[in-house]
Amino acid sequence: MSFVTVKQLLKRFGEQTVFEQINFTIQQGEFITLLGPSGCGKSTLLRSLAGLYPLDSGEVWLDNKNITSLKPQQRDIGMVFQSYALFPNLTVQENIAFGLKMKKLPSSKIQRQVAEIIELVELGGKERAYPQQLSGGQKQRVALARALVVKPQLLLLDEPLSALDAPIRKNLRQQIKSIQKELNLTTLFVTHDQEEAMTLSDRIFLMNKGKIVQQGSAEHIYTQPGNEFVAGFMGNYNLLSAPQASQLLGLTIQGKLAIRPESIYVRERGREYAAHISNPTAAIIKSHQLLGNIIRYQVQAKGCDIAVDLLNRSSERLLQPGSALELLFNLNELQQVS
Amino acid sequence: MTKTDHYYHQSVVYGVCTLLFLPILATFLYSISSSWGATILPDGLSFKWYLQLWQDVRFIEAFGRSLLISSSALLLCAVLILPVMFVLFYYFPKLQKVFNFLILLPFAVPPVVSSVGLLQLYADSSLPIVGTPWILIGTYFTIAVPFMYRAIANSFSALNLHDLIDSAHLLGATTTQAFFMIVLPNLKKGLLAALFLSFSFLLGEFVFANMLVGTRYETLQIYLYNMRQTSGHFTSALVISYFAFIFLFTWLASRLSRGINS
Amino acid sequence: MNSIVLPDTAQIKTARFAKLTTGSLSRFKPLWLLLPFLLLFFLFQIAPMIWIIINSFVVEQQASLENYHTVFNSAFILQSFSNSLWLAFTSSSVSLVLALFFVASLRKVDSALRDAVVAFTNMTANFSGVPLAFAFIILLGFNGALTLLLKEAGLIDDFNLYGQWGLLALYIYFQIPLATLLLYPAFDALHEDWQAASDLLGANRWQFWTKIALPVLSPALLGTFIILIANAIGAYASVYALTSGNYNVVTVRIASLVSGDIFLEPNLAAAISVLLMVILGLITFINQRLIRRSYHDKN
Repeated sequence: MSFVTVKQLLKRFGEQTVFEQINFTIQQGEFITLLGPSGCGKSTLLRSLAGLYPLDSGEVWLDNKNITSLKPQQRDIGMVFQSYALFPNLTVQENIAFGLKMKKLPSSKIQRQVAEIIELVELGGKERAYPQQLSGGQKQRVALARALVVKPQLLLLDEPLSALDAPIRKNLRQQIKSIQKELNLTTLFVTHDQEEAMTLSDRIFLMNKGKIVQQGSAEHIYTQPGNEFVAGFMGNYNLLSAPQASQLLGLTIQGKLAIRPESIYVRERGREYAAHISNPTAAIIKSHQLLGNIIRYQVQAKGCDIAVDLLNRSSERLLQPGSALELLFNLNELQQVS
Repeated sequence: MTKTDHYYHQSVVYGVCTLLFLPILATFLYSISSSWGATILPDGLSFKWYLQLWQDVRFIEAFGRSLLISSSALLLCAVLILPVMFVLFYYFPKLQKVFNFLILLPFAVPPVVSSVGLLQLYADSSLPIVGTPWILIGTYFTIAVPFMYRAIANSFSALNLHDLIDSAHLLGATTTQAFFMIVLPNLKKGLLAALFLSFSFLLGEFVFANMLVGTRYETLQIYLYNMRQTSGHFTSALVISYFAFIFLFTWLASRLSRGINS
Repeated sequence: MNSIVLPDTAQIKTARFAKLTTGSLSRFKPLWLLLPFLLLFFLFQIAPMIWIIINSFVVEQQASLENYHTVFNSAFILQSFSNSLWLAFTSSSVSLVLALFFVASLRKVDSALRDAVVAFTNMTANFSGVPLAFAFIILLGFNGALTLLLKEAGLIDDFNLYGQWGLLALYIYFQIPLATLLLYPAFDALHEDWQAASDLLGANRWQFWTKIALPVLSPALLGTFIILIANAIGAYASVYALTSGNYNVVTVRIASLVSGDIFLEPNLAAAISVLLMVILGLITFINQRLIRRSYHDKN
């Protein structure tokens, strides 16, 4: 059996179903992201796994033990909250030591373990500070240390980085990942930020409206979205109906098509293209957006408005609105979506 | 939250509410019972006490007096305190500290204590207002001040006062015009909630009324106290009628303040 | 001419400053608006206070400490202080604890019930004084419904509403709504996630409350306790109405010296009042310090 197994979880709130038919497994040491838009039920699912909310039906197994009816105190699960949830009347040292005190460990042991974890999260010198005196990033590291020091079997993180500024978020993201790898800690991370999910995870569970709509590695979900929702959520896919797609490519296409902006090429004169590249399609540039390392062109071709991403190699090659060009599509990278 | 937790919380809430409701219930039962001797439940039910009450001229007059002085005191308080608060919040914010101290005085000086001084100062001196409704209006004014100050101060803090007045100035209004057309309407809800709350409080005021005017200007509470030797059923009907009014006013106050927070 | 360009906020500040200082005396014109208020407040709040403080030191037109001697040598007057303080401390402690449990549970029930109960508490907070005394007589007097019920159940022999314990019941009754309304917003300081974090770290309910929730709430608890005491010490109407002025508390003592049938001694009343004001002033001062401390904690 896998390290974490979850079977047919269901939760209702009054008339509304918060989540249903939740089934997944996690291997020991895996970093899984639970990804989805606001309101899809991911936070509630996470808290239900922690035992903070009761489930209406289903089973949760951790390390071959059925923990479904256990209280949070007994589950051996650690959690980091978006709001940090640090106890304001305790110092950093006392916050981190809290779980160890609950386990009634001798104070010399507690001191040692707290010191080790403080070094791991790089908070040396802050032991006597109170949470109100710390920055957002520091508070989150205390929260992380507090959850880790009790050596839980499963670590849950509920959008821990959403309240932080962008540069701190990126930094902390890497720190969380490297600590996780070092400790080989099974981790379930909730976020609505798809970039965060893709950089951190071994696998992603994508949720929408209370159900898991796709599971798989980042690469897999990104390049092979199972349906329109996933395609829309995971990237900036161009979504085309069947007649639109047929007209654009000059081929007969059944069903909707999703095309990634970066898998559309601009035809260069004198180049030979392989067989899986389509015939050229005439197009006109409507506008462009500079996104840093990528330029996103809004292009009109055969009556369809599509986005095309090109690497920003040099400013002389910036294509002006109104200029004509020819587009080539990689037929292997077209994705049918339901 | 587990089911047992849920039941626990509900029973605590219902329990304390029952405790609080018991005296009200007992009084209500007493007011609608025709007679109630040394038994746990009343002997019979009747509305005659209410009829007797509301036809009693003395009661109507006492109630009227209470309504009159309470509303006068509150009107006076509102009219005097609004300009003060505007000055405090717009022109001289540093003075707020002084006023924060001043409004604590009614708390540190209970009405009994104030009455000692008030009786000596205003009984037979150059300002002989003891025994008249005027002294009640004055003292009720001081009672209302902390309530009104707090409520209006909260309303002011929620406004971006300087930006509002600056925009009004740029659009051609004087400060006075801005005060009446922009600031006052925004204070309305907080002010009304405070007025209703203070009104309930003033209707229940007994100390000043008893010590400074007594039966010379019989307010509702004095009337109630004077009626204590008459039938307990009658006084219960009186208490319940009074309480119904309080119910109405505090309910209105909470409706208004909920409007602010939404 | 102006080669220096001020940043935006500095420009706004200098503009406002200029507005306020054009015509340096006209700046103080708005202060006239304070006058009517201050006059009335002085006449009815401050003037009596001053009279009391001054005349507590006066006996037969001469400065003297005799009033205070009388106070400290009169067992009767001292008893009134001890009665008042006992009633205040006991009723405040009991109602604070009750209100603590009440509010903790109130915040966990569904919003419809919660709103109704908060409205109800607001209304019962106004139920004090004479009407409350009468209600208690009906309920707990010699032939009161509850008295008879408890007698029948064999729990009590007789209940003296007009003594120490009857008054305590009355005081507790009118303190509970006040304590509840004061504590309710204080619980906003308790973040929901703290309970969750503490659960996951292995703490049970009792440990959560003693180690985290109560320490965080302590300034608010203490502040509320102090307001309750001030409220109880100053209570007059309910005691007077219940016992017809026969029970010995400070407020009744003061009132009996300035109105009523016996020989009036306003200066002695003044001395007792000053002592009472000192106690209450101290209490209010402590409360203000505590409120400031909880602000600092938040920031």
